[in-house]
Parts: sequence; structure tokens; C-alpha cells
Amino acid sequence: MKIIEFLQKIDLKIKLASLAILLGLIAFIISDPFDNLYAKINTKELAVMVQKEVDHVNVDELADWIIKGKSDYRLIDLRSEKEFNEYNIPGSENILITNLLDGQISRNEKIILYSDGGIHSAQAWFLLKAKDFKNVYILRGGLEEWRDKILFPKLASNATEIEKAKFEIASAISRYFGGTPQLMIGEQPTSVAIQSATPQVPKIQAPVGSSSSGAKKKKREGC
Amino acid sequence: MNAPFFKFDMFSVDFSLVVAFIIGIGFGFALERGGFGNARILASQFYFTDMRVLKVMFSAIVTAMLGVFFFVAFGWLDLSLVYYTDTNLIPQIVGGLILGIGFVIGGYCPGTSCVSAATGRIDGVVYLLGVMAGIFVFGEIFPWISDFYYSTNMGRVFLPDYLGLSYGMVVFLVVLMAVGAFAAAEWGEKKMAAKKSGERK
Repeated sequence: MKIIEFLQKIDLKIKLASLAILLGLIAFIISDPFDNLYAKINTKELAVMVQKEVDHVNVDELADWIIKGKSDYRLIDLRSEKEFNEYNIPGSENILITNLLDGQISRNEKIILYSDGGIHSAQAWFLLKAKDFKNVYILRGGLEEWRDKILFPKLASNATEIEKAKFEIASAISRYFGGTPQLMIGEQPTSVAIQSATPQVPKIQAPVGSSSSGAKKKKREGC
Repeated sequence: MNAPFFKFDMFSVDFSLVVAFIIGIGFGFALERGGFGNARILASQFYFTDMRVLKVMFSAIVTAMLGVFFFVAFGWLDLSLVYYTDTNLIPQIVGGLILGIGFVIGGYCPGTSCVSAATGRIDGVVYLLGVMAGIFVFGEIFPWISDFYYSTNMGRVFLPDYLGLSYGMVVFLVVLMAVGAFAAAEWGEKKMAAKKSGERK
């Protein structure tokens, strides 16, 4: 009873100030509100997603988006900076898997991950899904498939007419990205345009993406 | 200000205007009830006779700060979806000075002038016309000052990162600062009141 009487005597502003100081102290003890280390996952939901392969993007889809200039997604290259500088898909940004949750990408963005094959991006996909990122996609087959299908498409010597027609389109896309279409003679690939025996990954200089430290393309938002 | 729900596409641009309207009414109502629709009360801040503005502002800052901190800690709020402006140091200092000069001359800041005009005060309406004229002039000369406007960009800067302290530490320090400012304001008001009554005698 005495405590209640005592509390009633105190001015409201003193009470509020004490409450603020108390909450401030708790904040001081918590010290970091961001919980980036631990996550809870819904295993069933993720398993179903993996089973249905809903979160995949094919290389030809991606090539199509780049050519059409779509910009509603962010393409993340998970490889090392050195590999990124040697070659990267136009429009991509280099973020290492360890830096993925450092706040460079936000949960409402459409994110497409790629690495050499598919393993690294699949692992990164899991991390982001566990952290409740909604729109995360994996580039199916990764950079290897990009190289085989987009940069250096192949046409077998015994191809049908339909395959040849498709190859024409693939060749156009390949040249757009600075690649070389390959004609197969037996087991040996021969480039269609210029006779360069071994396919090399082209050095694309012009529209490569910024590295992670560079300026981010950002819409201006009102405040 | 863009809320996280907007960025998740939970409602459309049109509906966001409705939300802004409702929040705006709440904001205006709080300002009016705080007495901020009256230029005399606002100006008395500069004479240290009524520190209401400081108290209201610090109350708002501390409440919002503690709320955001604990919401983030509980996982209710995703801070990465809240919009922050970049820091452009020198242009923002200059802008702050211009706003401050306008405040001293007119007796209002932009928000309170709207409140004042809405309650039918003539000086508030005149101030609001001045704000419109200022916006127009700014828009017209923007091509010539845009280089300056975007200069000294420091990106998104947060005090904890800049000072190398933890977020909780900064929260605690700001709370202490606010409580200290409250106590100083109360003390100052009493001093000024004593001085005034002394003059009258």
C-alpha cells in the first residue's frame, strides 16, 4: 500500500522520465537489436519450394530480361571479386555470401543469385529464405550454363530444321552478349563466325555491373 | 516517409495517400493540442520562457526511438525497409540555417504553419503562402544549385556506426540527453518566470 501511495505522490513527468531511462538501460544491455546470426525456418515450406522448383530462373529468361532492359530485379554474383572482375553477367553486383545479410539487399527486392554452378547460390538461397526474404531466385545452372547456352550455343552437325532455326535466335543472343556460337563437327566445336578454336569467355567491358562497394542504383524516394 | 508495409506492396500508391492523410491528421491534431498552432508559443522558445517545443520534440524522439529499437529487437519491424535520406553534410547545414532563419522571422516551421492556417490564423496563412513561394523559387533555380544540393554526400550515416558505439548505447545516451534537457528546460523556465515577476515588482 505504501508503494502505491508513494507512486501516486510522484509527478507524472518523473514517472515517464524514469520509464524512459529504464527502457534506455534495457536497450543498452541488449545493445544490438539486429539479429543477423540466428534464424528460424519453416522446413516444410522450404522443402515444398525446393520440390516444386518455383524459385528458379533459366539463363534464357535472364538473357531476355537483360536484352529487354528490365530492371525490377537485382542480380547478385556470389563469386570472389577476382572472378567477378574477370567476367560477370551484365547488370550484376558482386556480394560475397558472408556479406549477403549485411543490409545491402532488402526483403522486398527481387533477387537473382548466381555462382559458378548452382551449389553456392542454392546455399545462399537458403540463407535468405531463412531470413524471410520473399523473392529470391537461383539462376539455374549458374554461370556454367550461361556460358554453354548463352555465350557459346552449340549446333550439332546432324541438327534438324527446327534446331537450326532455334540456333539462329541463340546466335543472335550470343553475339549480343559478346559470345561466339559454335558449330559442332563431330565432337569438335567450331565457331560459326570467326574461326577461333577454343571458346574463351569474352571480356565484356561496357555494361558490367557495379561491385558491391560502388554506387547503388536507387530510386529517389520522398520523405 | 515510406512505411515497410508499402514496400511490401501490401497496399497501392493510391491507398498510401489515404494512409498519409490519416497520419497527417493525427500529426496536425497532436501539434495543435500541443499549442504549436500559435506563433507566440513557438517564439517564446527562443526567449527561454516556454520550452514546450523542446519538450514535445524530445518526447517524440525518445518515444519513437525506444519504440523502433524494441520493435526491431522483437522482430516486429524490419529496419532495412524504412527509408532514410542520405547525409549531404554542407547542403543540409545550409538548409537547416535557412529553415531556422525562416522560423525566427515567421514564428512557424512548415508543419506548424499548416496547423496554424488550418485553425484560421491569418499569420499562418501568410506564412503558408511564403512557403509555397519558396518551394516555387527552389524548383525554378534547382538546375543551378543541383551540384551543391548533391555535394558532400556521405551516404546513409547512422550515429552508432559513425561513433563506433552499439545501437543500445546510443539509445541510452539520447534518453539521458533528453532527460537532462527536460530538467534544464524546467529549471530555465522557473528562472525566467522569477525574473519576470521580479521585473513587475
